[in-house]
Amino acid sequence: MTENTKMATGVWVAAVAFAFLLPVICGYDKYILHVGITIAFNIALATSMWLIWTLGFISFAHAGFMGIGAYTSALLFTSLGWSLWINMWIAAAVAALFAFVISIPLMRTRAVYFFMASWAVGEVIKRVFAYYRGIFGGWDGIFNIRPPKIDIFGLDINFTSRVAYYYLALVCCALIVFAIHRIIRSRTGAIYWSIHESEILAQHVGINVLKHKVIAFTTACFFAGMTGALYAHYHTYINPKTFDIWQSEFSLVHIIVGGLSTLNGPVLGATVLTIVDELLRPAGWYRVIFFGVVIILTVLFLPGGLETVPARVRALVARLRGRSD
Amino acid sequence: MALDEFTQMTLTGINLGLMYALIAIGLTLIFGIMRIIQYAHGEFYMLGAYVLYYWSSVLKLPYWLGILVSAGTIFVIGAVLQLVLFRPLHGKNILYSLAVSMGLIFIISSGGLLTFGTVVKGIPSVVTGGVSVLGAFYTYERMVISIFSATLILALWFFLQRTTTGMAMRAVSEDPEVSSLQGINTRRIHWIAFGLGSALAAVAGCLMGTLLSIVPTMGFIATVKAFMIVILGGLGSVPGALIGGLIIGFIDSFVTTLISADVAYIIGFVTIFVILVFKPSGLFGQQWD
Repeated sequence: MTENTKMATGVWVAAVAFAFLLPVICGYDKYILHVGITIAFNIALATSMWLIWTLGFISFAHAGFMGIGAYTSALLFTSLGWSLWINMWIAAAVAALFAFVISIPLMRTRAVYFFMASWAVGEVIKRVFAYYRGIFGGWDGIFNIRPPKIDIFGLDINFTSRVAYYYLALVCCALIVFAIHRIIRSRTGAIYWSIHESEILAQHVGINVLKHKVIAFTTACFFAGMTGALYAHYHTYINPKTFDIWQSEFSLVHIIVGGLSTLNGPVLGATVLTIVDELLRPAGWYRVIFFGVVIILTVLFLPGGLETVPARVRALVARLRGRSD
Repeated sequence: MALDEFTQMTLTGINLGLMYALIAIGLTLIFGIMRIIQYAHGEFYMLGAYVLYYWSSVLKLPYWLGILVSAGTIFVIGAVLQLVLFRPLHGKNILYSLAVSMGLIFIISSGGLLTFGTVVKGIPSVVTGGVSVLGAFYTYERMVISIFSATLILALWFFLQRTTTGMAMRAVSEDPEVSSLQGINTRRIHWIAFGLGSALAAVAGCLMGTLLSIVPTMGFIATVKAFMIVILGGLGSVPGALIGGLIIGFIDSFVTTLISADVAYIIGFVTIFVILVFKPSGLFGQQWD
């Protein structure tokens, strides 16, 4: 373990510890907890989208699969009364199932064409929700999705409480990030990056590229579906607009601003940009303009994203000290 | 389905299709030549419509000259943006151009809302009256606009086939390295293509703004349509964009009238998906890596 990875682990542990202590630090402030929950959702989405990126492509259907998860969970709740504890897994499984079926033809396309084909998939999912009023409630969406409760071993937690839901979102988000971390660190992760570098070369050393693409896509959509279920039960209301192309685009922006080469990127990007977005809320339309400026400036002047900032600062400090290293 | 209804939908389909094709041809030029994703293309369509609105409704200056002014203005804006924002990204992963143009969307559309206001505006038509074709009512305005779009597309085709700059553009989109070895200034071609593509979108915005109404948020829908068409026809292919435009125009016209706009979108996207699965680089597209 080098000095750098040791430090990175330290920062990660500190960040998770801070996240767990946040409710106490902010004095159970409802607004800050809401921002925290939003950050957790955004991180889960951005990291799972990044998992697809490790194979070299970006899926714009990601918010659509989040929508499949959200609608599955919401419908199971409103029609059968099942709670989030079961729905979450069914939602993730349904999203993954759809992803699996659609990814086999989808993977025939490459580069920009993949990007557009996945956009088409996402848009069809959204429009299907919007068109079938009887089942999905049309553009009005589904109301009255309630958060779950725990009532076992003398433990009685109602997740309508912000703090409780914050911990739920945090734990799920941490699990998703950790799972993706494990995948990327494993041999499979190395295979993913090799496909990213050169698909043809990967094929020639005996990697079944299609199989890995399908599995990675399905896994990422599994996480997206799970996030969707958590989203639905937190907001208690969902409509097709939530899961349109912009949701995917924001995740993409989080990844690009955060950095593309390690898992730190999407996590950092999602956290920082969500906070920036919230801080700018009073600025009205100027907020959107500012957001646009931030994106453009980051891409032009900080090409590696926020994750390269520590290295840049270190290099700058070293230069100021007169060391060439 | 009665004949008059059918004729009406066909005429609307051609009308919409040609206008979509104008936007999409602009996008496909940028795509094919620079190999970037220009996601803010629809914003130029919106800006073009507003230039014409200020020219003809506010300043009360002649309409047709206004279209020229609008195209010229957007050409300059497009060319400058290419030089400032997109040139540094040349040759990098398409994600970066996607991100920059996404930033542009935020800036232009919210800037538009702040400057132009949220009130829906209209550009007064210059051609009035109409004629009955097989029981369907066809306004002269739609007819003029269809003919105008078709002429413009034809003119562009001749520009690309016959003029030196046009041929240089096709060469760059075919192979950038070899064409620069042949003495083509690819950087010049890049900004010309970007300006020209944006100007085409602006003209489409002017025409659409006359037929319908204009709002600062109309750009994104145009982007969606343009992308659908370009991918359908194949990146960088002008005939592909024309045919794709007509296909999407007909789907929009028929399905929206017969069923609903949501279904029109669903069918449009399903069509694209199916075409991409069987022809992974669109109908007439080049394969990228």
